[in-house]
Amino acid sequence: MPYEFDEIVETIRMTEVEHFDIRTVTLGINLRDCADRNVYVTKQKIYDKIMKYGESHVKFANEVENKYGVAIANKRISVTPISNVGDSFQADEFVEIAKTLDKAAIEMGIDYIAGYSALVQKGFTKGEYQLVKSIPAALSETKRVCSSVNVGSTKSGINIDAVNMVSEVIKETAERTKENDSIGCAKLVVFCNAVEDNPFVAGAFHGVSEPEVVLNVGISGPGVVLYAIKEAGAVSMQQLAEVIKKTVFKITRAGELIGRKVAERHNVPFGIVDISLAPTPAPGDSIADILQAMGVEYVGAPGTTAALAMLNDCVKKAGLMASSSVGGMSGAFIPVSEDAGMIYAAEKGYLSLEKLEAMTAVCSVGLDMIAIPGDTPATTIAGIIADESAIGMINDKTTAVRVIPAYGKKVGDYVDYGGLLGKAPIMRVRELRCDNFVLRGGRIPAPMRSLTN
Amino acid sequence: MILSEEKLREVAVTAINELGTKATPELVKNIIEKSLEKIEGAAKETKQTQNSGRVILTAFGINQPGVVSSISQSLSDANCDILDISQKIMQEFFTMIMMIDITNSPKSLKDIQDDMNKISESLKVKIYLQHEDLFKNMYRI
Repeated sequence: MPYEFDEIVETIRMTEVEHFDIRTVTLGINLRDCADRNVYVTKQKIYDKIMKYGESHVKFANEVENKYGVAIANKRISVTPISNVGDSFQADEFVEIAKTLDKAAIEMGIDYIAGYSALVQKGFTKGEYQLVKSIPAALSETKRVCSSVNVGSTKSGINIDAVNMVSEVIKETAERTKENDSIGCAKLVVFCNAVEDNPFVAGAFHGVSEPEVVLNVGISGPGVVLYAIKEAGAVSMQQLAEVIKKTVFKITRAGELIGRKVAERHNVPFGIVDISLAPTPAPGDSIADILQAMGVEYVGAPGTTAALAMLNDCVKKAGLMASSSVGGMSGAFIPVSEDAGMIYAAEKGYLSLEKLEAMTAVCSVGLDMIAIPGDTPATTIAGIIADESAIGMINDKTTAVRVIPAYGKKVGDYVDYGGLLGKAPIMRVRELRCDNFVLRGGRIPAPMRSLTN
Repeated sequence: MILSEEKLREVAVTAINELGTKATPELVKNIIEKSLEKIEGAAKETKQTQNSGRVILTAFGINQPGVVSSISQSLSDANCDILDISQKIMQEFFTMIMMIDITNSPKSLKDIQDDMNKISESLKVKIYLQHEDLFKNMYRI
């Protein structure tokens, strides 16, 4: 037998017991050639193009899933930032395009389509301004469309005007979707240093430097890492790092294989494998559990940030060795509502917004799926976004904010979406104000780090 | 075999270039048939080099008489070649790993998986079939 007995049994254990799965295979489609000054023509072109490439996406992914016995949790589509496709449109026309994307997603049988986005870190074009303005309507009138706005980058600083506008947009989206616990906000990500090849929805979009069509894959597998750490027992930090790296190496290899095979069936180039550890609300599929297994009592305890930094670094190192096509976010995600351990720590009050902010400085992405009181002022949300963007800008990394100011709810209440989005307790936000700071407007200049040439 | 839109265009362009103004229905038919043969040949070649038909079958469960025989009977009915087999019994638990080759089988991997699911239900053992490439990628560099 060319493979050892233990190797085969280990693989089966990973896929069957420890929830190892491919979190998403995301087909990125360029829509720039769909631009037209007539919105009806644009809509038709967008629909036709997405259906042409995406029609068999679910079927191909299912075939590969069966062949290798590794589940693919989500099949998704990302498109060119819609603001680039329809720069001449008004807000209501953008909403029409959002509905077209929604329709295409329903026909294809996928749960989310992402790329209702604008990149405004240095300033707005007319179209980008209209698109951001249209987000509350677009997200409340569609179910499957996801939106993102990039408000800052290391190279260009932070556009505080955009931060202020997006904060108002978040509040309005929360109000418009109040019947469903403000679910619209769960589909809106505010980025600093957004990446162009991220396969993970809601923040995915098909960047302008990407090819015509490309297939990116995001792996998952906190459960596998958790098992390995538990199995390792009381070992030193270096030994623990080894254990994590070995495990992540294997799942990255499997992830790349799956991605390449799905791309092969589509007959499109394979893009990247994003080696992020992405949790789900299922028991055992949790980043918080990993940190606890590493030795902190609960997430939020002193030591949490260090443990997360080490975990994140090991994931990157192993992934980089395992594949030559690593990209996207590639780290550990810490969404609160999608991780049972994080939910518990937030409920108990072990985990505060401030601790989460510190954690985001050392892991991929940022303040993710955090529910805050519905009466949080827009300027306070702007302050949170500015803080998080500053971490990204200065450290030359991607950071994001996906907060849900749950309409009509206060600390102690819950938002509950079920499924992958999970449920989250409303977390306390400090009542101190920052109006006089954020309302200055303008742009925080690009930092020292931007001058690398 | 399904031809993509691009391939169809390619075939049409070849015919136009080669025939120019001399096209008759007969000549068009000939040239298209020739192009199609070429495409089919190329597809066959890539298929052979890319896809080995080797699949790892793993079965777990409470040990009982007839497990190995039911599985191997079903595989032989499907004309699958058993390349290697390894089996362990730990306490009352039975584990078997087989490497099989389904290249010559008229059935697809999906069909064989469906057959195994039936055995799996009747004998109360778990049977997984996974293409060899998964293990090759995870454990061999």
